[in-house]
Amino acid sequence: MPFSLRERKNVVVLAGLVFFNLLLISIQVPLGSEHTLFKKIIFSVFSPIQRVVVSAGAAVSGTWSGFFRLRGVRVENQKLKKNIFFLRQENMLLLDRLKFLQGDKMIQDNLAAIRKTVLSARVIGVDASNYYKSIVINRGGVDGVKANMAVCDKHGNLVGRVIEPVALKEAKVQLITDEDAGVSVISGTDKVVGVLSGDSRGNCRIKYVVTTSPGGQEGEDLFTTGYDKLFPPGIRVGKITLINIDGSFFKTILVRPFFNYGDLDQVAVLKEHFEDLF
Amino acid sequence: MKEILKTAAATLAAFVLYSLLGRVDPSLLLILNTFSLVVIFFSMLKGELFGVVLGALCGLLQDSFSMGVFGVAGLSKTLLGFTAGYVSRRMNVVPFFRNFIFIFILATGELAVWAFLYALVFSKRLITGNALLFFQPLATAVLGSVIFTLARRLKAPQS
Repeated sequence: MPFSLRERKNVVVLAGLVFFNLLLISIQVPLGSEHTLFKKIIFSVFSPIQRVVVSAGAAVSGTWSGFFRLRGVRVENQKLKKNIFFLRQENMLLLDRLKFLQGDKMIQDNLAAIRKTVLSARVIGVDASNYYKSIVINRGGVDGVKANMAVCDKHGNLVGRVIEPVALKEAKVQLITDEDAGVSVISGTDKVVGVLSGDSRGNCRIKYVVTTSPGGQEGEDLFTTGYDKLFPPGIRVGKITLINIDGSFFKTILVRPFFNYGDLDQVAVLKEHFEDLF
Repeated sequence: MKEILKTAAATLAAFVLYSLLGRVDPSLLLILNTFSLVVIFFSMLKGELFGVVLGALCGLLQDSFSMGVFGVAGLSKTLLGFTAGYVSRRMNVVPFFRNFIFIFILATGELAVWAFLYALVFSKRLITGNALLFFQPLATAVLGSVIFTLARRLKAPQS
């Protein structure tokens, strides 16, 4: 049966769109991690909608906890007060120790500088294809966010880094649990250095530690080294859960990241490296 | 113009639903692809031309919020939209059970195309999220057939 004019038009539109998508894929693949302008435009247009939707949801749940869940809010308030008390004690002890190294004014100036470098952000979206790869936060170029800034969770554990595209008020963050992530890490006890990347299933592994390299124990904590010039040194990353030597050139070292994906509501963007301050 | 506005509204609805689901529990996004659901629903209502354009838009939108290659989901949803609209115009897929099977086959086909392109572009194993991804066609079929039936029943008294 010959195609009618309408059917022919539909097939032409289909062929055109299929070709367009194949062209996009062909352009994208050689660019590697770079994003096309088209992708950046779509992200910039739709990410504010995501922010509005999530904010509306947060406002509704805030109203619920503010008016109905008062008992729970009271318990949480007591816990936070207790935490603040202990944090203040720790802060005083650390300031006291710092005075041996620096004068009061320098300490205060440096602490003020640190406060300016930390930007609080909220997670407003997750990766549509695999939620262990990236998240979207509600801070962007207008807030001073740029690509390659480190991002930590509310406990100071490393979460990932800001990547392109960065919109005016939103930005994408590549998580350390992404297969394509890379963080230079060092173990706390044996000082084993390697590159940490994710498995896109919520865990990480350290690569490029040769089997003949000494040291490295299960249960050791990992910290950033700063060698990659992306992440400031000394940030907590994860804990080694398994070390396996299976005949290959490198050890298999599995790591459980410290950040809890289920608890990832608020994050901190480190706008500058502050390790030179102290 | 009216059709363009309807397409834009449908795309926006899919995106809002995706944002809400992602914040409730990210694993829900593996079980239910809201973009696929919207593409299938509107393609069955409006036909293959509407479906193919909506599929392309929703697919590219899904790609722009993932770290995948831009165009992979665009291509799979373009094919999904066209197939859903084309077949639904030529076969009676209105009865609930037949509708369910039809949507299940479409969603499985779309997932297969997306998985194939993903493996082809990245040369990596697909991340299934502890096999949650394989429930996606079933969840899409259940929700899609329920929504389609409800929409038809709501429309029936008016006509």
